[in-house]
Amino acid sequence: MFQTTIRPDQELSAIDPKLAWSAWEATNQEPWDARRVRHLMRRGGFGANPSEIKQLVDAGPAKAIDALLGKSKSQSLDAFEQESAQIGSAVLAGSSIDSIAAWWLHRMLHSPSPLVEKMTLFWHGHFATGADKVNDTELMVQQNKLLRDHALGDFRQMVHAVSKDPAMLLYLDSASNRKTHPNENYARELMELFCLGEGNYTEQDVQQLARCFSGWEIRRKSFRFNPYQHDSGLKKLLGQEGIESGEEAIDAVLAHRSMPTFISGKLVRFFVFDEPNPTAEFLEPLADVFRRSNFTIEPLVRTILSSKLMLSDWSIGKKVRSPIDFVVEWMRNLQMTTNLDRLAKGLEGIGQALFNPPNVKGWDGGRAWINSSTLIGRSNLIVDLLREPATRFGRTDLDAWVKSERLTSQSQWLEWLETSLLSVPLNASDKERLQSVVASSDGGLDARRKLLVALSQNPKFHLS
Amino acid sequence: MKRRSFGQLGLGTCAGLAIGSAQPGGWLQVLASELAQQEDRHSDSERILVVVQLSGGNDGLNTVVPYRDELYAKSRPKLGIPSSDVIKLDDQLGLHPSLRSLEDRCSANRFTIVQGVGYPVPNRSHFESMDIWHSCHSKKDRTQSGWLGRWISEQNSNPTTDSTAIHLGSEPLPLACQERGVQVPSLSSLEQMRLKSKVIDAQSLEMKSEKTASSEGSGSLLDFVSTSTVAALQVSERLEKILAQPDASGDFPKTAIGDKLRAVSRLILSGVKTRVYYVTLDGFDTHANQPDVHASLLRQWSEALSAFLSRLEQSGQQDRVLVMTFSEFGRRVSENASQGTDHGAAAPMFLAGPRLPKIIQGPNPDLSDLDDGDLKYKIDFRSVYSAVLDSWLGTDSRKALDGDYRAEARRLELFS
Repeated sequence: MFQTTIRPDQELSAIDPKLAWSAWEATNQEPWDARRVRHLMRRGGFGANPSEIKQLVDAGPAKAIDALLGKSKSQSLDAFEQESAQIGSAVLAGSSIDSIAAWWLHRMLHSPSPLVEKMTLFWHGHFATGADKVNDTELMVQQNKLLRDHALGDFRQMVHAVSKDPAMLLYLDSASNRKTHPNENYARELMELFCLGEGNYTEQDVQQLARCFSGWEIRRKSFRFNPYQHDSGLKKLLGQEGIESGEEAIDAVLAHRSMPTFISGKLVRFFVFDEPNPTAEFLEPLADVFRRSNFTIEPLVRTILSSKLMLSDWSIGKKVRSPIDFVVEWMRNLQMTTNLDRLAKGLEGIGQALFNPPNVKGWDGGRAWINSSTLIGRSNLIVDLLREPATRFGRTDLDAWVKSERLTSQSQWLEWLETSLLSVPLNASDKERLQSVVASSDGGLDARRKLLVALSQNPKFHLS
Repeated sequence: MKRRSFGQLGLGTCAGLAIGSAQPGGWLQVLASELAQQEDRHSDSERILVVVQLSGGNDGLNTVVPYRDELYAKSRPKLGIPSSDVIKLDDQLGLHPSLRSLEDRCSANRFTIVQGVGYPVPNRSHFESMDIWHSCHSKKDRTQSGWLGRWISEQNSNPTTDSTAIHLGSEPLPLACQERGVQVPSLSSLEQMRLKSKVIDAQSLEMKSEKTASSEGSGSLLDFVSTSTVAALQVSERLEKILAQPDASGDFPKTAIGDKLRAVSRLILSGVKTRVYYVTLDGFDTHANQPDVHASLLRQWSEALSAFLSRLEQSGQQDRVLVMTFSEFGRRVSENASQGTDHGAAAPMFLAGPRLPKIIQGPNPDLSDLDDGDLKYKIDFRSVYSAVLDSWLGTDSRKALDGDYRAEARRLELFS
């Protein structure tokens, strides 16, 4: 019989790729309701507050994705950009990495187009560049702007721009690339990590591509082509002959058949599920969307976010929350503000230092977010935020805010926290244990805060 | 009240630190039982392995320098270490001058260089090559499990002891330590494991994950996060007791690798029964401006290693701890034009700690016989692993390595 739905317990290998990536439609079993809106806003953005959720339940999935992109909010967008630019110019003067990370966190917390910030974060992990090595905050902010400007645009243009980005070329040692013995670092990573994936090129391709980039330099913080250091001989790359310049070489890499599958796969893992790794066959419908849009990113991301697989119950709880996902969603829901420099430092402690990904491969994600240190660290970070004097909830303290939201009883409070912060529902034994925690005298916090901390130590808290 | 181990809960051999520690045989008693410990201190079951990973691809040729080789001088006009600077080991080889602190270990026969280690069809991607060293498999037949993870899954004889392995570092758990059903705690530091608000104890959560495991399939994300949480809370509870004792670890260099090896020494000297520790030192990807960067990294590695070995000697434990150092590949023989070197292939490994038969094992690199500009490997890394697992730890390496490398390992004669 022809299958039209995806069961929550179905193995990935048993799901028809065409069905998975076709547009989701509401059914009696899976209605477009608050739970599903939260799921989409959580994955495509950083969560949403109750009034936004109510609006989006009425509006439907396509409008919800528009909302993630900040469409029809041009006025608030302008005001937000003005505010962000002010903070940006202030932090640049201080040139501390924690401060520019704080500036970006402010954008994630308050942007009217959260999907743009989420995609910028995706590309930061994809074209990973570390501030510790680049050692220039201005260039890091410049790269961040480049990634944001291209976040949902033409992928090929973005790769060309990144290949001449000063921060990237400093990070991958291409700041002075000479004709004799060209440096292979950027050439290798362009194919292995940025466009094609390992196994889709040979060592000869790496060496030939490195020759094409000879003479590409950074001088006074800008890209410069130095013809005297360029190897102008013809090169053969990925089976194509007669390639001379770095630009032609990038085009040859981008034209390789594995590129659309590789990029689709990374986006699927970022938005939909951590495991297992999807096969090329499973990704083919997405690769096709990408090809047909001439490698524009927005249609591909829209297809993924509005797909059957994404919006069915199957994908709920299929991702481990990143540190940024859980902190920003937590803060957006509790209308929380705090000292963002310290928060940036705290995120570094649990494995996600903005502007300093662990290496050129970016963050591994999935199970790699979770270990003994990061689990203890996540809980400690929440305790730190609750104890931080600068922390406010809806411009007031937690107790006043909870009263204004009419969540005064412990059971109302727990129910609200569960609905807003968890993807996977609590069972009876979870609730029993949380209630006994609140009743205990241990912990050095009052009952309301203790419940928040206890929830952060529940395994379900870490799933999205 | 007796507490059940993970195995009994049906969660596999989840080797959380001090599982079953609620009973009186926990760490405090271990600390108190100095006498009993001294009796069997040198038995196989107490031998310890510390793995040090140099991430990024360490330049083997500039670490163990063939200072007499004309081809070396020719390939490295700018980066070559002049023979007047090397610490000479014999009339062919010398150590990089930054490794001064290891000189005494060499002359005391407590340091071995294993030359030309690698594997067939070298992969020059950092990530692929590292995965090969961790999993012992090429890409096509690889699963999400590593050699130490598979080894740990076999070491389930004593359910009341500490975690079989511990990873110290803030990077994700290395693939080498992964295996389904195996929990290796990752600690960014001992101090960081203090829980600021203890609202839940490991035991109540453990009871709960029993229920989780039965309803969700084992191996699910939720199952993984649940067992990780129980392990984290248990480690935290145990470490609180260790940290309550004064730190007698002595002088270590104030570097990241120094801090990690200091923490390892503190755990070992506190009587923790962990058998394998895993630490990394990153930054060896020296495509540009190599001389200063590489010299500094080698100094960090050797000085931390030397402080660690000294600390063990002071406590008379130097014969039970082996430190094995490796990198995912060496570097291209010819330097590039950015005063750096690109990704290469075969490179030396290093063993340190107990008395070892030879300073140099394996043939010296042949710079006249290269594979696409890179050194050819002469010793498969898995035979070194095999020697460590079979001869040093006294276990059977075949399942961990998914193959039998014992004959090759015996020929290496790494341990007397």
